[in-house]
Amino acid sequence: MASLIACPHCGPRPKEEFTVKGDAAIARPAADAGEDAWYAYVYLRDNPRGRHKEYWHHTSGCRRWLVVERDTLTHVVYSVSDASTQGGTA
Amino acid sequence: MSSFRLSKGGRIDRARPLDFTFDRKPMQGFVGDTLASALLANGRQLVGRSFKYHRPRGILTAGAAEPNALVTIGEGGRTEANTRATLVELYSGLKAKSQNRWPSVHFDLGAVNSLLSPFLGAGFYYKTFMWPAAFWEKVYEPIIRKAAGLGRATYEPDPDSYEKCWAHCELLVIGAGPAGLAAALTAGRAGARVILADEGFEPGGSLLTETAAIGEKAAADLLGETLAELASLPNVRIFSRTTVFGWYDGNVFGAVESVQKNTATIDPNRPVERLWRLAARHAILASGAEERPLVFGGNDLPGVMMAGAMRSYLNRQAIAPGKSTVIFTNDESGYRTATDLEAAGLEVAAIADSRAGAPSSWAGRAPVFPGALIQDAKGGKALTGVTMIKGGTPEAIEADALAMSGGWSPIIHLACHRGARPVWSDAKAAFLAPETQDGLTIAGSAAGVGALEACLADGAEKAGSVLRNLGFSNASPAFAPAPDTATVTKPLWYVRGAKAKAFVDHQNDVHLKDLGLAVSEGYGHVELTKRYTTNGMATDQGKLSNINAIGILAEARKVSPADVGTTTFRPFYTPLSFGALAGSSKGKHFQPVRKSPLHDWARKNGAVFVETGLWYRSSWFPKPGETTWRESVDREVLNVRKNAGICDVSTLGKIEIFGKDAAEFLNRVYCNAFLKLPVGKARYGLMLREDGMIYDDGTTSRLSDNHFFMTTTTAYAAGVMNHLEFCAQALWPELDVQFASSTDQWAQIAVAGPKSRTILQTLVDEDISDAAFPFLGARQVSLFGGKLTGRLFRISFSGELAYELAVPAGYGEAVADAIMQAGGPHGICPYGVEALGVMRIEKGHVTHSEINGTVTPADLGFAKMVSMAKPDFIGRAMLSRDGMVAQDRLSLVGVKPLDPVTTFRTGSHILSEAAAPSLENDQGYVTSSCYSPNLGSTIGLALVKHGPKRHGEQVTVWNDLKNEYTKAVLCSPVFFDPENEKLHG
Amino acid sequence: MVDFALLHRSALAGAKTGSFGAVSTGSRIALTALPEGHVLHVLAAHGSGALQSLVAQIGDGGPYAVRAYGPGQWFVVGDAALSAADLSGKAALLASRASIADQSHGRVRIAISGASVEAVLAKGTAVDLDQASFTIGHSAMTLIGHISALITRTGTDSFEVMVLRGFAESLWDDLIQMSLEFGVDASTAD
Repeated sequence: MASLIACPHCGPRPKEEFTVKGDAAIARPAADAGEDAWYAYVYLRDNPRGRHKEYWHHTSGCRRWLVVERDTLTHVVYSVSDASTQGGTA
Repeated sequence: MSSFRLSKGGRIDRARPLDFTFDRKPMQGFVGDTLASALLANGRQLVGRSFKYHRPRGILTAGAAEPNALVTIGEGGRTEANTRATLVELYSGLKAKSQNRWPSVHFDLGAVNSLLSPFLGAGFYYKTFMWPAAFWEKVYEPIIRKAAGLGRATYEPDPDSYEKCWAHCELLVIGAGPAGLAAALTAGRAGARVILADEGFEPGGSLLTETAAIGEKAAADLLGETLAELASLPNVRIFSRTTVFGWYDGNVFGAVESVQKNTATIDPNRPVERLWRLAARHAILASGAEERPLVFGGNDLPGVMMAGAMRSYLNRQAIAPGKSTVIFTNDESGYRTATDLEAAGLEVAAIADSRAGAPSSWAGRAPVFPGALIQDAKGGKALTGVTMIKGGTPEAIEADALAMSGGWSPIIHLACHRGARPVWSDAKAAFLAPETQDGLTIAGSAAGVGALEACLADGAEKAGSVLRNLGFSNASPAFAPAPDTATVTKPLWYVRGAKAKAFVDHQNDVHLKDLGLAVSEGYGHVELTKRYTTNGMATDQGKLSNINAIGILAEARKVSPADVGTTTFRPFYTPLSFGALAGSSKGKHFQPVRKSPLHDWARKNGAVFVETGLWYRSSWFPKPGETTWRESVDREVLNVRKNAGICDVSTLGKIEIFGKDAAEFLNRVYCNAFLKLPVGKARYGLMLREDGMIYDDGTTSRLSDNHFFMTTTTAYAAGVMNHLEFCAQALWPELDVQFASSTDQWAQIAVAGPKSRTILQTLVDEDISDAAFPFLGARQVSLFGGKLTGRLFRISFSGELAYELAVPAGYGEAVADAIMQAGGPHGICPYGVEALGVMRIEKGHVTHSEINGTVTPADLGFAKMVSMAKPDFIGRAMLSRDGMVAQDRLSLVGVKPLDPVTTFRTGSHILSEAAAPSLENDQGYVTSSCYSPNLGSTIGLALVKHGPKRHGEQVTVWNDLKNEYTKAVLCSPVFFDPENEKLHG
Repeated sequence: MVDFALLHRSALAGAKTGSFGAVSTGSRIALTALPEGHVLHVLAAHGSGALQSLVAQIGDGGPYAVRAYGPGQWFVVGDAALSAADLSGKAALLASRASIADQSHGRVRIAISGASVEAVLAKGTAVDLDQASFTIGHSAMTLIGHISALITRTGTDSFEVMVLRGFAESLWDDLIQMSLEFGVDASTAD
């Protein structure tokens, strides 16, 4: 029905303005990190009950990629920050 | 009017009568009536038949919890079934019908179900009709469905409009009863933005229905003053007729407002219902309390009513419940009803108070019987009397009305929508929700407060505290503290020894014995009982029945209600219309249309359009005399290859890429090399996913050192933009690169065919000869002698000598007209995406039919493009995994029928020539196919195991859906001009 | 050389115009297609620092010419069309600190005004438009119904909505629909 994500650039916006990509806790491995690291990065995902970091794109707003830390059980949002400040590459 | 309407009193406007019909019978009510009160005024106590046993039913409540008085309102497309008559505001011209009866509510053949009731008890679905199995669908279910049920939906479209709105406030107050009004007034005075939402057509809650005085002031006067002050505050919005139905993440509340459900003359400029999303920093839930029914024999007869509801009809609408009323209570509420009845000059035959120590403060005329129980109510279609048990002795009392009160249950539904569980309170003899949660505070009787003054004080005090936390330091309660003088007694869950059925869930016809049966058969867990007996599963979701069911289960299991617990509360609090949920998203407002800047140019040239996502693209351009689409498409293809054609490719995604690291960035997102792309050149690029599969393709041109222009496929334009932004922002924030989507800025026109250069040179000021502007050239150009600046690309999807010209969108139509004019003498024709598709298949060019998420560059013959020399790019790491380089991967080939008069379809599978059709023998499948007018047969592209090594092999193309088998031969995917002589012409 | 009259076609040339909805309310909505002058999308280069005042210099001096849209991104708008020379002059002013993507044809501006304008827009956007927080000159990129648009407050009862050209007509129709209860006068005079 509704929920709001507080975009650090635009303020609270409804989820319809966003695109969710998934797990933001994993970092892209170095090119030569080896098959195991890449396999984990591309295919393996935790499905935590509780706190979880996800990439959300403010597609219909500022077009920034955000890292939303929320609780998968209660949907409480703990923090929202710009993805560029997170360091996405190992 | 009838004798049920008292000659004076109430909040109805007797000067404004309203005509309506019930079961086609004309009736009259007044402004201020609900349909329920108007029916009662007209002496209609019997308003429907029950769900399973078709028992006659009357009006039990005066509000949202009503389980019995469900009626169908309106006609044709406006038919609305299962509407609670207690919530329908009466209007002139209202047409209501009773439900679940045939042929009439008075004589209902379905009542024979009552005789079958031994078979219709709890779990009857699961055990009665088990054998023979085949009978279930064909015999039992149709009969049961015909006999049991509610109103019928219409098949006609709803002619009215609906809409959705957002509203924002510091404090949302849910419920405009005493606590809610006090909270709203407190917040309003403090200057906060307040929304006060109430389900009724008149705010006030119990202040509308109670005759009590608050201090020196009558309830009605206090209400009037409070509403007047609220109306004078510009920061307070009062939403009447608005039910808050859900509490959602981010402290957003869903509410539905009835805008025009109270009139027969619908204004088409306004919606009939409005769905609100109320974003509140904090909310006060002041939804009040629901009176508990008592469970005794015949407690569902017309004439039996909740005590509070009887008081409401009496005081709001001047309705007499009957000539003689019996009160059955274990709470003060029964006495308040008796007081008001006697004050109105009505007879109260007896007050049966189940409490042994009944209060001695009663000063009325009616006899009080402490410790007495009503065991059975008597009557057929209306109440005629009761059996009272007093000291173990039955006594018959004549009465045509019975008011019952079993105490109060706070309405905490909304407070439990986000995970909180109700907790049983022995002190309040009720389930309570946590009084304070993040963003929500419960006040008044919803929090278990009893007395009216205490509710006012509670609402004011809690609002003040909430507002001070929100930074309104001046917020002070609008009402002084007041002690809660209400007393709470032990609940009476049911009366033993009843002869008739004692109903717990009126709407689903669940009675006392059903619950006992559920426990004895092992379904005593509250969630199991619900499913086994269907208690609480009707459209009222057990608003009245759940609490008694829990109490009865607790007694049967010899535990506390705390141990039984409740079922889970979920939105919506009350039923919601599909219209409200759909809002304005219907008809042409269902989804937006995205129009190319050449849309009107295409239309005036006769285009047939096809929806591609939200875009409308030109499919083909029929000429007079052409009767099939194929005729048009064949002509367009042949003409482009012979002369020239013009095609709108504006829908391709277009992205401007800036920054001193733009080249480095492109080098990382494409699998092929981009670092050294010269200024003035375009290059075909393949973008992979991290798993090594192709994501999208397109051309990217370098317009200056630090400015590139990327094109994407139409379908993936938005996705590619998101992907680029992800790579730049999340993966490589250190790179200096920026993106601007310019899809809508440019009208992009493909001009293809051997005469395309000649035609374009008449518009373009610069020399575009092959020497000056070779294949894959990309540059800014001047047009019409300097009148306009555009971008010209020498790229080709058709395999012909071809260009794409981008001009500012507002000039697209003019430029397309100019090209048509210049091309006229050269035989130019407009062509659509169908002809484009034929030509690209003839050339073996891939689209997302082939790039289907399962193909690597090598699968499509692009292995040599991939620059493994680059240290990193998206998808590089996974490209060399075993499965990605397996020899038998499905790879691109051409396929054509052996006999050109035979054909095959896209999606068909490839079998080795003599192989039987089976999954094991499957060699691959056809990804694209068309009729090629240049080759004179169907041709296709296919993904086939070892594809490139099998050119010349005869195969069978198999379509199991149509049972088609076509003999065919695999071949090179390039069917036409394999040496690319035309491209470089 | 084709001798050709270069006609400009406005994005809302085919949009419906006239008066719609309720006949006499005190709070009619006016919907007006604004001149397709210039819309410049300014994108700050990496680490180029605070650019607000520099970006203001490429505007035409109009009161709401510069509209912040996201970190390091602005739209600079005006009613006058710009020549290629004008554009390169502005690009030179920004030098290497920001780039300009010309969106003069890619975005369409619509003015919407009337006493009920907040109520109309609240049917589309979840952004709180209360003037206390959404002050005159403030902008927000948001969804209006299904369509993304940049909303700018230009007065107590007036806003501008800027939308992708391809969606302009759909948004126009939606805005008319949303305004019906107040009555709406829609004009595209261009």
